[in-house]
Amino acid sequence: MTELFVRLIRRPQGFVGIALLALIAMACLFGPALAPYAPEKIDFLGRFRAPGWQNWLGADQFGRDILSRLMVGARSTVPMALIATLAGSAAGAIIGVGSAYLGGRIDEAIMRTNDAVMAIPGLLMALLLVSTLGNGAGNAVIAVAIAFAPGMARVTRSVALNIRNQDYVKAAVARGESAAWIIFREMLPNAMAPIVIESTIRVSFAVMLFATLSFLGVGAQPPASEWGLMVADARQYMYQAPWGLIAPSAAIALTAVAFNLLGDGLRDALNPKDER
Amino acid sequence: MIPALAIKNYTLDYATAAGPVRVLHDISLEIAPGEVLGLVGESGSGKSSLAWALMRHLPENAREISGTLRLGDTDLLRLHPRELTKIRGRRLGMVFQDPSTALNPTLPIGRQVTETLIQHRGLSKREADALAIDLLGHVELRDPAAIMRRYPHEISGGEKQRVIIATAFGCRPDVILFDEPTTALDVITGARILELFARLREETGVAALYISHDLALVTRVADRVVVLKHGRLVEEAPAADIFRAPRHADTKALVQAVPRPERRLIHDKPGDEVLLAASDIEVHYGRASIFRQAPPPATRRIGLDVRAGEILGLVGESGSGKSSVARALTGLARFSGKVRFDNHEITAARDMNAAYRRDVQIIFQHPDASLNPRHKVGEILSRPLKLYGGSAAEIPRLLEQVRLPAPYAGRWPHQLSGGEKQRVAIARAFAARPKLVICDEITAPLDVSVQAQIIELLLALRAATGTAFLFITHDLNLIRQIAHRIAVMRGGEMVDLLPIEDFDADHVHPYTRELMAASPVPVG
Repeated sequence: MTELFVRLIRRPQGFVGIALLALIAMACLFGPALAPYAPEKIDFLGRFRAPGWQNWLGADQFGRDILSRLMVGARSTVPMALIATLAGSAAGAIIGVGSAYLGGRIDEAIMRTNDAVMAIPGLLMALLLVSTLGNGAGNAVIAVAIAFAPGMARVTRSVALNIRNQDYVKAAVARGESAAWIIFREMLPNAMAPIVIESTIRVSFAVMLFATLSFLGVGAQPPASEWGLMVADARQYMYQAPWGLIAPSAAIALTAVAFNLLGDGLRDALNPKDER
Repeated sequence: MIPALAIKNYTLDYATAAGPVRVLHDISLEIAPGEVLGLVGESGSGKSSLAWALMRHLPENAREISGTLRLGDTDLLRLHPRELTKIRGRRLGMVFQDPSTALNPTLPIGRQVTETLIQHRGLSKREADALAIDLLGHVELRDPAAIMRRYPHEISGGEKQRVIIATAFGCRPDVILFDEPTTALDVITGARILELFARLREETGVAALYISHDLALVTRVADRVVVLKHGRLVEEAPAADIFRAPRHADTKALVQAVPRPERRLIHDKPGDEVLLAASDIEVHYGRASIFRQAPPPATRRIGLDVRAGEILGLVGESGSGKSSVARALTGLARFSGKVRFDNHEITAARDMNAAYRRDVQIIFQHPDASLNPRHKVGEILSRPLKLYGGSAAEIPRLLEQVRLPAPYAGRWPHQLSGGEKQRVAIARAFAARPKLVICDEITAPLDVSVQAQIIELLLALRAATGTAFLFITHDLNLIRQIAHRIAVMRGGEMVDLLPIEDFDADHVHPYTRELMAASPVPVG
């Protein structure tokens, strides 16, 4: 594990990714304590104040400090994306490995259902689910997780099909092991590398999907300082105060880039080429 | 006279995270023009590193400490990369171990042969085509013009190796390096490749370095043999002498380890009680669908029986269906027919109850693939104990039974050598206290000396537990040492099932006779 970490930070993508993620984690953990103002503190004299010494990233239409709102909002944006990705990846991985293990007609049935779900674009799927389940952060997490599971199932199944043909799986079958043991203990650990890489890349999609849902008004509700919601709120005043739009957009982009870099770094670190 | 190839005081290190590791110590050898030098050693002795050093294709972490490599009058170490491409293939050819990965699967055979000829002999496309057909015909490929248009997956492994040999000889190199060219092929195909090599060599007078772990085989093709052990040359002698009078202890061990059919390792008789009787076994892969018919079964109505405590050998070339029989008997493949075990009748995998699963164990060919890389040895061994009754406290005893130290329980499979992994797989099979163990080519990927140790271990376990074995192999010399009876399979059919005493008799099937003729018998 430590060896993997060392290999990861030796690569430029891995190092930058981890550094950025550490910054974001700091904001999630200590954001409210470090923020210069309270996120909902309204200052009527400071409406649309440009970035400067008073408000580093400027102020919005109510004179709320954008930097403070971003730091507090990290807590409601990034962990949600992480939870949704983890849930979606776990479900997808289990479906994929299970389908590969069972094989034959059951595999066919599972994978065709999977294809049908995949044919619906992720955002549309999430919107559909949220409109059925009702607005709110919790439901948005479930919606994103369900939208992510089929893609993960596909990736995992292709890896698991190779593992299914390995002798240690055959040995377990010949020994009379239960299906649950074979799926969870023999096959899943060996399919872990691609699952981990795929999910880190997917976290960035989740951040953007959440931002989109909030932007469309079906995710977090005002006055929450969720980043997507901040973009939605600032849209009306785009020409008056572009900083209100730029700062949260940049934060979303930065998070997405950080997770993507981590994913790239992990992919290289987990596949050491020619390293003896 | 200048030797065709001369290696002088060559020392090679690999830089690793744990510091430099020396793979070749001060190697000096010469090959005269027209001479074939056999290079024998266990895996890890550095023989392939030497071949790659000669081809100037070492991994990045290789450090050449000292010495010279000369091809005729050319110093290989001083060559510029551009000059190297003129040497490789043109003056120094190479034939690889695994023909299935040595050809590009996306190009037709013809392109791959002619490209080399155009590159190295400066021929036009048309001349190269004509020469390629000529060369392919010369390596005894039927209808070379048709082969030229085919893709690698459309021809057999033996044919692929012939194509590679034709290409290597086609450029008329001074020296050809053979890196275990028959190891990946079955016995009969391998024997024919060797005959071809002997003929081509006589015609062209090429010098060759023939690398192999099989001493018996090398003595048949080489003029002189050198033995490599842990990167050091331990012995050098004419091929005719090395078997009869090995001087060095390591060579003696290698000679001892070569299986000889006349040296029987078991002397007892099996019981009369039939343990497992299989009849009319047909193994099916794939099902019929509306678009296509089911493929024909991999075996055709095979019947065999194993008696208590017996070692039954099952031999045949690759694709003869011998592994399919093993898969059917362990419920890994769909089959039709009947298996009778301990008065319990089985017609499909779902009839195999826990008792049958415990009593019949299988050991697979590749030790790397049969141990889960994410489980420690202790956990691997604890599973059969948990399933079939037994406690984790038995693990040290199981390890001791296969002569591994008890602390190995805490190791990961990748920390073990191939032979040690196979021992763990054997321990896992014997943890169930089985009545029958099916060994599916378990010694094929191992060196001769490791193979001898594994066989010795299996026989010791048999003496202690009275277990019967179904021993699947393509090595006839080996199986004639240990089996009570031998079944011979070809193309999914059983052609012979004979007690070992009748093996030299007249009424053996012609195919069995052919197999025996192809098995390399050690010289001397």
